[in-house]
Amino acid sequence: MRRLKQWPLRPLAYSFCSSAAEAVSSSTAAAATAAFPLKHVTRSNFETTLNDLRALVKAADFVAIDLEMTGVTSAPWRDSLEFDRYDVRYLKVKDSAEKFAVVQFGVCPFRWDSRTHSFVSHPHNFFVFPRQELTFDPPAHEFLCQTTSMDFLAKYQFDFNTCIHEGISYLSRRQEEEASQRLERLHGEERNDSSGETEDLKLVRLADVLFAERMKNMLNDWRSGLLHGGNVSSESPKISNGSTQSTETVFHHMRPALSLKGFTSHQLRVINSVLGKHFGDLVYIHSNDKNSCSQNFVVYTESQSDKENLMKEAKEERKRVGERKIQSAIGFRQVIDLLASEQKLIVGHNCFLDIAHVYSKFVGPLPSTAEKFVASINSHFPYIVDTKILLNVNPMLHQRMKKSSTSLSSAFSSLCPQIEFSSRSSDSFLQQRVKIDVEVDNIRCSNWNAGGKHEAGYDAFMTGCIFAQACNHLGFDFKQHSQSDNLARNEKLEKYINRLYLSWTRGDIIDLRTGHSNADNWRVSKFKYENIVLIWNFPRKLKAREIKECICKTFGSASVISVYHIDDSAVFVFFKNSELVWDFLTLKRQLESSDGPVSVLHPLSKILEGGNTGAADYKAYKEICSSHISKVLFSDQAETVGVKSRTRPNPQDETDRREESTDAVTHKASDLIDAFLADRVEVETATPT
Amino acid sequence: MQRRFLSSISGTAGNSKTLNQGRWSVKQVKKSNFHVTLDEIRTSIESSDFIALSLQNTGSYAAAWHRVSAIDTPQTSYLKAKYAAERYQIFQFALCPFSLQGSKLTVHPYNFHLFPRDELKCGMPSYSFSCQASRLTSMAREGFDFNTCIYEGISYLSRAQESASKYLSGNPILANPITVSSSPASVADTVFVGRIRSRVKNWRQSCIDSGSKTGDDDLVSSLRRLVLGSEQYGSRLCLTIDVCSERQVQLILEMLTEFSEDVVPLLVASKSRGTQAVRTVFMSSKEDKDLFKREIQDLENKENRRVRGFREVIDLISSSQKPVISQNYLSDLTSIHAKFLGPLPANVDDFSSSLSSAFPNVVDLSQFMKEISPLSNISNLPAAMSSLNRFFAPVDVEVANQGCPVKLSENYQSHGQNAVMISQLFAKLSAIQKSDLSTVQSNEDSQDLASDEHTSFVISKNTGNENVKVWSKNSRRVSSENLVFIWGFAKKLTAAKLKNFLQKSHPVFTQEFDVKYLDRSCAIVVFWESGPSETFLSAVNNEEQLSGSLREMVAEGLRAAGYETYKRACRLGFWEADLAESLDKTLDSSDTEHDSDTKPSEINWSNDLAINFDEL
Repeated sequence: MRRLKQWPLRPLAYSFCSSAAEAVSSSTAAAATAAFPLKHVTRSNFETTLNDLRALVKAADFVAIDLEMTGVTSAPWRDSLEFDRYDVRYLKVKDSAEKFAVVQFGVCPFRWDSRTHSFVSHPHNFFVFPRQELTFDPPAHEFLCQTTSMDFLAKYQFDFNTCIHEGISYLSRRQEEEASQRLERLHGEERNDSSGETEDLKLVRLADVLFAERMKNMLNDWRSGLLHGGNVSSESPKISNGSTQSTETVFHHMRPALSLKGFTSHQLRVINSVLGKHFGDLVYIHSNDKNSCSQNFVVYTESQSDKENLMKEAKEERKRVGERKIQSAIGFRQVIDLLASEQKLIVGHNCFLDIAHVYSKFVGPLPSTAEKFVASINSHFPYIVDTKILLNVNPMLHQRMKKSSTSLSSAFSSLCPQIEFSSRSSDSFLQQRVKIDVEVDNIRCSNWNAGGKHEAGYDAFMTGCIFAQACNHLGFDFKQHSQSDNLARNEKLEKYINRLYLSWTRGDIIDLRTGHSNADNWRVSKFKYENIVLIWNFPRKLKAREIKECICKTFGSASVISVYHIDDSAVFVFFKNSELVWDFLTLKRQLESSDGPVSVLHPLSKILEGGNTGAADYKAYKEICSSHISKVLFSDQAETVGVKSRTRPNPQDETDRREESTDAVTHKASDLIDAFLADRVEVETATPT
Repeated sequence: MQRRFLSSISGTAGNSKTLNQGRWSVKQVKKSNFHVTLDEIRTSIESSDFIALSLQNTGSYAAAWHRVSAIDTPQTSYLKAKYAAERYQIFQFALCPFSLQGSKLTVHPYNFHLFPRDELKCGMPSYSFSCQASRLTSMAREGFDFNTCIYEGISYLSRAQESASKYLSGNPILANPITVSSSPASVADTVFVGRIRSRVKNWRQSCIDSGSKTGDDDLVSSLRRLVLGSEQYGSRLCLTIDVCSERQVQLILEMLTEFSEDVVPLLVASKSRGTQAVRTVFMSSKEDKDLFKREIQDLENKENRRVRGFREVIDLISSSQKPVISQNYLSDLTSIHAKFLGPLPANVDDFSSSLSSAFPNVVDLSQFMKEISPLSNISNLPAAMSSLNRFFAPVDVEVANQGCPVKLSENYQSHGQNAVMISQLFAKLSAIQKSDLSTVQSNEDSQDLASDEHTSFVISKNTGNENVKVWSKNSRRVSSENLVFIWGFAKKLTAAKLKNFLQKSHPVFTQEFDVKYLDRSCAIVVFWESGPSETFLSAVNNEEQLSGSLREMVAEGLRAAGYETYKRACRLGFWEADLAESLDKTLDSSDTEHDSDTKPSEINWSNDLAINFDEL
């Protein structure tokens, strides 16, 4: 019986394969037995799949996940840069998770099968789309698409149609709470409204007066028809101007009622006020049917108590419908809730961005700082392991990778060649490897074609395989462990659990247990961020080297260590010490405020040419990154965020630190100008050693 | 077979059910058939009198108040449209060149699938774009094929982007002629120029020599080439001078004007940006020089054509100078400007003039519609069409570009119907208008129609004082000075209740006034006379004057601001989800930025400017 029920789903999965791929790959779809078995999940099969998945996750030793997004960086400078401190890096990840949408979510539970001495994996590929399912007061949902990412998805034949037409929607926990509150409030308001609001409507326009009169007559006829029997025509299509208004006698909750169709909301209000004024026993009821089409009735009630009952019933029903709607709108979040409540070990590959997406889409808005994020994520997902960390940090695994790249696909082919080519050869070397089977829709399979498409479900499967193999190399004997043993608490893995790459390029690792990006543990941070100045909107043709020359001419040849481009419109200048940062900003301000030969001939004038050049310290960089605006050029971003004002005279928020030193500094700066006037271009005195 | 069936339907539908929402066969254009179709499109545009267009974007407005409404001046309407045009992407561009002869409408409908492809890997045509989830969902419901759009959409570059991309293609480009000499030369500059000049002189001399002395043997000439660093560019001799800065490029180009007779400078762009080297090419004669310049220009044009993509069509429309008919003037034309011409200017006047240089005649269909049938809402085309039923104005539609070379399902052909309907509606309106005027002017052909009658609907700038049309149904003009924005109510009130509260709160509300919500956070108070708005604003912002229930409301968080604040919020780009938050931010920022354009001295605005008078 159960088996029979499963059958229809299988061809469905195939049809996705073939629709996703273009005509070229239809030949591979024909030989579908050999294609990688992957459970595609959309709106239509979500509920049934979820039920099966519950059991699979419960039984699993770990669950691998992977996400496909519509983009990664909302502006080129939002990419991970060399000079990003960990808090800035967090802000960049936060920005990415907030702006882009998740379109595919791969979930792959792995269970050790002691009978066959192999892992059984269940790769699921969920199509996700943030469809707005709730109609009442929806916060307009928007997401960003990065053109290169969309191209990338298209290259791997991502099926956008399935995603947008059939993708599963979701609500985060926060959104669900808000929706419930809103429903509660609407419900409350309604109660107030019904008390006295109806009489408030004044009929000012002639059209309204006429309409009200006509409705009064019509309702009167209908009511007397009801009361005195007689065969009143139950349907009375409207006569004038061919409008679509019509009424029909129906039964509403066992009471005779007149169903109103094709009236505008204003007309319905007028009808309501007519009822309030002239008909004590007729009640206006507005309700939504199953398909959320709104329906309007005028219902006849027998007595005052009957009327109250009816009103109460109608209200209760509306509330129930609303609650049901919220429940069904939760959608894909049920999968996340399942993972969270089962407290399973979550495995991802370079997955900090993935986890941030999970948080922002399914829990609530991302916290403002990395520390707060860490404090909160732990209560939802207590055990997360990143295979990228495992491969790079463990010396033995690192060596085994033979210096090949630790990207997902290359790690998979170097660690799990037996799975990639699904060779069950008698090669003894391959024999020691962990055996992994795939089971989809109760059909177990250990043979498939190599080279799965770039889909979240397949990527999650690869990640899980890498993890299983890595555990095996770490000396983890699955045969010895019983089901009850929690992999997450194993001491061999302890060092790696809950540590994620905040920035892979920089090697910054965030520790989800303590809440510090403990870069010190793994790699010493080499930058002193207070020595950095940000310059933007300088003449576009200036290159980093020329900027360095200009500054060195002013502050001495050793003053600047290096200059890096953020993008074409902005640079980081890395000074020797933080005093120089302050000197530079002050001098810039002075040169801008004074016009005359000094500012024209000064070496810095080359940078300040055009009069729009902005400069600020590292604090401002963080502020710029924390803005939700994303302009493509960094200079536009800085201007829009309004950091400009900080470098202008009298920056209010800098007075605290600088009050006492202001005098000295301004002297120093004016000394500089004097010195320059006295033809000493290289002003050594101005650069504290 | 099926195709024949379809086309016969469209043929007959034109005769019998003129106003029916016909299903015309619209030619679908994608990446694969774009270049072959281009000539056909050119012919269609040339043979037509008007061009109707209709766009499908990935979104329209992110929050209720971002929508252009009756309270907007041309400037704020424009800023709203600009904000949307910059963020959203055009997925479909339906184009319908048509001509009108009597009651016969000949249409050439096309529908282009667009997708911005970052082919040069430099963030052009766009780095990213926004999608409104609800918009995509409704597009999906209409059967939009996202895969076709993303896999096979035609890319493009705007005019501004194309000129910027010149440097990225890697081909050498002709240097622009020097107009004015730059800043005074320093000693280093003089030395540099002197060195390069002598190098160029020697090289040029050797070129002249080798030209005259043909008797040189190969060895000698190649040795000479080696010594002088001379190379060959195609069949011509050239010299490459490496440069370190744009300043040096400038200096070299200035110096080279001395040799302009027979030396042509080319700029070699570096991979990252800027110029890497200047290449001087020796010309054997004046004819040779012209030929060479043409060659380079052709090469550039070919490359440009490749990267330009769909913009070719926009250029065709623009150069044809035919009147363009648009349903949503502001949103369509700002999108077209942003994607295909260049970045949108900061104010509406600059936009109008920039736009009119590309499209001198734009007919705003909604404006035209309003003249004929003031109560109709144009946003729903079929409804607008049927509202004209009461006029007798038959229009026969003939689809001129029958038959699609690409076999498409019926579903496909439904895309791009809007542009046909716009042309149909336009034809109908023209016919109605003509019958009204027929007593005055007898027969006139459609050509005249295009030139004379419609000029009144073509968007033009009139000066006028700053009035705002409030409430769509019983529209009344009020000066923007009489509007007050209020927000920060303690609890959610209906407009009627809020009005009640206000009436009790302050004496100014004894006069006639009206209250409407603009979004869930903010309401607008309209006074029908001037004066009370200022009194009220100063009362709210002045603690001593506060008393009674108004004081209570202010204590609970009520804030108020005049129209200036709203305009500033739009200008500063505070597009928050709630208008209240935007106004709060604007009030906060006003202290730091007291700049000149806080008070735009006068806003030129035409009474006819397109505003979608949607109900608030």
